Order: sequence, then structure tokens, then C-alpha cells
Amino acid sequence: MLTVSNISKIIDDRKIVDDVSIGVDRGSCVGLIGPNGAGKSTLMKMISGINQPSSGSIELSGKSLTQWSTKQIAKKVAVLTQEGLAAYPISVYDAVLMGRYPHLGFFQRENKSDHDHVNRVLELTGLAEFKDQLLDTLSGGERQRVAIAKAMVQEPELLLLDEPTTFLDIGYQLNVLQLVKDWQRMSNLTVVMVLHDLNLAAQFCDRLILLDEGKVVKEGTNEEVISAETLFDVYHASPEIIRHPRSNIPQILL
Amino acid sequence: MQVKHKLVLFLSILLVLLFVSVGVSISLGAAQVDFLSVWQVVLSKLPFMNGVIEQTWADSTETIVWDLRMPRIILAAIVGAALALAGAIYQGVLRNPLADPFILGVSSGASFGAALVFAFGFQVVWLGRFTLPVVAFLFGFSALMVVYFLARVGNKVRMETIILAGVVVQSFIGACLSLVMALSNEQLQTIVFWMMGSLTLTDWSYNQFVFPVILLGTIIALFFTRELNMLGLGEEVAHHSGVSVQKTRFYLLVLASLITGAAVSVSGAIGFVGLVVPHIVRLIVGADYRLILPLSLIGGAIFLVGADAVARTILAPRELPLGVITAFLGAPFFAYLLRKAKRAYF
Repeated sequence: MLTVSNISKIIDDRKIVDDVSIGVDRGSCVGLIGPNGAGKSTLMKMISGINQPSSGSIELSGKSLTQWSTKQIAKKVAVLTQEGLAAYPISVYDAVLMGRYPHLGFFQRENKSDHDHVNRVLELTGLAEFKDQLLDTLSGGERQRVAIAKAMVQEPELLLLDEPTTFLDIGYQLNVLQLVKDWQRMSNLTVVMVLHDLNLAAQFCDRLILLDEGKVVKEGTNEEVISAETLFDVYHASPEIIRHPRSNIPQILL
Repeated sequence: MQVKHKLVLFLSILLVLLFVSVGVSISLGAAQVDFLSVWQVVLSKLPFMNGVIEQTWADSTETIVWDLRMPRIILAAIVGAALALAGAIYQGVLRNPLADPFILGVSSGASFGAALVFAFGFQVVWLGRFTLPVVAFLFGFSALMVVYFLARVGNKVRMETIILAGVVVQSFIGACLSLVMALSNEQLQTIVFWMMGSLTLTDWSYNQFVFPVILLGTIIALFFTRELNMLGLGEEVAHHSGVSVQKTRFYLLVLASLITGAAVSVSGAIGFVGLVVPHIVRLIVGADYRLILPLSLIGGAIFLVGADAVARTILAPRELPLGVITAFLGAPFFAYLLRKAKRAYF
């Protein structure tokens, strides 16, 4: 589904991303993890089309992403950033409706099926009762839910999340990731997410890719990646690794 | 759906207000004309009304209403609408509540062009009496282009940088302007009055000159309301939703500057309309550009028609500079609304 081949990004003579190749299957959820400055966000920005790679190629369903317009990319790829939506005084309904934008021509206005779609998603995400509230009256966690609803309305094939839980409390961290997970199962969505929190990454992703100094250091299941020696090599810290009592997934204790 | 209803409601209210204020403004002046005659004359002038309304008014009334006052008041409405719309667009694109139509140097450029025309008294042969507006317009637009390309780093323009570039260009052109003024003793007063904003020299031909430019710019700008809303949610969010941020900003800045340039070229730099009217609209209807743009347009027209009426009549027969009146009326009203507003609105 998503094929990243040998991409590099050089900024001011520094290789931020160094010859990275990644393949992501349709319907899977891949986590990008790694220490600060490993190149995770830069990699995400190239996949989402904000930055162009210095070399290498990114293909989505067999087509090169660099040839697409911003609008064409937005039809296929939705992105959740850590800041989410700005606290701009516009209603939840109108913000979610903006997800339809890439599917409309410049002179085309939203029709009834677009509005029906928005209402359906608002029900699904439990936002229906907030639909007339203005974004600036919502908390960061609530705004992130609105951002997910907006992304759902966008009907992408690929969802990119760049540390979507950074500013959220644990309740909303789980809430937001669970919402994404449910959506993924429902519509066979492909998800790539950058997460700082290794425990959340291990719980919510099928595969993990560990980056360090712009290179892929390790790639595999959470069992393979979350290991004492790998983590020590990359993070220079030796956390305790235990099993989650309910799911038996490897988790770290600091 | 809600947005549509709100738009229809507020737009109807404002359009009624606009017709009333145009009517009142025409009837005011050295020779009082009653309200009924005003509208009879105006209606009789509409293309398809030829001969439908019987003439019950004096020919002199017709001259006063149609040839003297009407062109000026229509121009006030057009200029007010243009400046308010441009202000709203600048504020949205730059995401800066202090932005007004003059922030990127358009009015400085236009003023400099106008000062050159006044000071050296030249007329481009084939432009004739349109020399002043055309030169002012071209200078205003060139100023914007200088600002834009000064702010370009790589192929991106950051909004903080463009505001700084605007400040730089404005001060440089300001110095050039002062120089021209210092060197042109006789024309000094003309230049100063032009810069304070004036609609004194108006007849129908000025309307014919600016109306097409502003109308076209406005129609195109009204198609960009969705993009403006999305820019409000953040640059990256807009990008990921499919908006080509750099291109959209460039188009909008050029459009707003064309509109501003056209308005300034016939009326001088009338301040405050472009700053205050969009903010008043925001305070009342919220941050949705699908409402802000059309309502600012009509709101600006009402505001400037009113200000012009005050400028003409309050110390009659002496006429006050329009820019002074807009600030006198706009600032206190804005201050009042700002105090009344219970929450952040921008």
C-alpha cells in the first residue's frame, strides 16, 4: 500500500533521514518510534507531502506521491498532528465538514450527501451533541477527537499520526487511539503513527519501526523491537521490560 | 444550512440599511431634496424604467441627485465595500487581527504614485484624466510585489516575514513620499488632502473605472471563503486537508491588493474601514469567512456612505477629509464593541 524506497532528507548538510525504506501493508498499523532527533517527524512530513525528499521515492498504491497535487494527496492521505486543530472559533460541525474539501471542485459546494456523511461521523465519534460548539471552547483532547472526525470524513486510504497524544491526559490518550483503532478495523484503513510513548506504541501497533540518527535500526513485531538490548543501544537507558497483565504485550517500566 | 440562513438574514438587514443610508445621504446637502424625489429620480434612471415614472420633480433636482451626489455616494459605497473586504482577506491570510488593507504597502505605493502625478503635474497622453488613478494603482501594486518577493525564502513565504517586509517597504516609500512633498511646495496641500482620503472629484467616470476591477476581484474572492476558514485552523491542517497553502495565500493577497489598489487610486488612503468593519462583523457573526466576506462587503459600503455624509455636512460648506471621519466614527464604536465582547473572537 505504502512503499517508501531509499528516501533521504538533507537539511543544511545534515542527513536528517538517511536512506530509509519502509513497506506498509493495506489495513495494518505501523508505529515509528525512536529517540528525539531520530528523523521520525521529518519522515512523516515527507510521506504527508509537506516536504519533498532529497532523494528516493514514496509510492502510494503504486503511484509516486511527488507527482500529486496537495488536493490529490489529501483525497488519499489524512494527517493528525500533535497540535491538532487550532482553537479557532468555528463550530465543530463546520470543522468536520472541511474534511470533504479535497473531494470537491473549486466551484463546487457541499451537497446533501456530504452533510449526511458529516452527521454520520459525528454520531459515530460521539460528537453529535457538541456539533454547534465552537472549537475554542473545547479542550485539547476534545479538539483532537474533532480532528479525527474530520479525518474520517476525508475518507483517506492512509492515516498518518504525528504524536497525536503528546498534549493529552491518559484518559484522552487511550480515547483518541481507541477511536483510531476502531476506525481502522471498520474500514481497512492503513495507519502509520509516530509515538514517543513506547507502551502505547506496543499496544496499538501491529509492527514497530525503530529509527535512530535517520536510519532504520530495527523493524518487526513489538516482541522483536521492545527488547532490553535494542532499547539500550538506541536510548542509552535500561528500562525494565515486563508483560502487560491483560494483553501479555511487552511494556517498559522506567 | 444554518450558515445559509444566517447569511440571508444578516445580508437582508444590511442591504436595507445600505439603501436607507444611500437615500438619506443623497437627500443631505446644501439643497435639501426630499426622500421620495430621491428614489423617484434614481428609479427613473434604471435602464428598464425609461418613461415608466412620470417626471414630477424639477430638472435641477435631477441634476443634483443624479449628476452631483449619486456618483459620489455610489463611489463611497464601492470604496467602502472594497476596503472592508480587502481588510477581512488580509486578516484571514496573515492570521493577524491588526492587518488592514494598507499593511503590505499598497496604499503607500499608491500615495507615492499619486504624489508624483500631483507634484510634476504630468499626464500620460492616452490616459488623460485617468492618469492619477492608473499611476496610483500601478505604484500600489508594484509595492505589494516588492514586499512579496522580499519575503520569499526558497519558494515559501512566511506570514511573519511578509509583515516585516511590509513595514520595511512602507517606511522606504514613506521617505520617498516625504521627499516628493518637500520638493513640491505648491502642490503640498493637494497631496496631503488626497492622502487623507477624499471623494470630492467624483463623477460617473471614476465609478466606471473602479467598479469592474473591484467587482471581478470580489466575485473571485468570495469563492475562497472555505480556504480562509481552513487557514484559520492552522497552516498544516489546511495543507493536509488539500489546500495549496502557498498558492492560495498568493492569490488572495494579490486579489485583496488589486481591490485595495483600485479603491485607493480613486479615493486616497481612507484608513480604518478595512480594519474596523471586518472586526465588527466578526464580533457579531463569528469567525466563519462564509459570513465575514459578504457581510464585510455590505458593512463597509454602509460605513463609508455614512462617513461621507458626515464629512460633507457637519461643517458645511467646508468639507472634512474622509479619513478623519472614519477614524472618529470607527474608533469609539469599535472600542465599545471590544469592551462588550465577552470572549475572544479572532
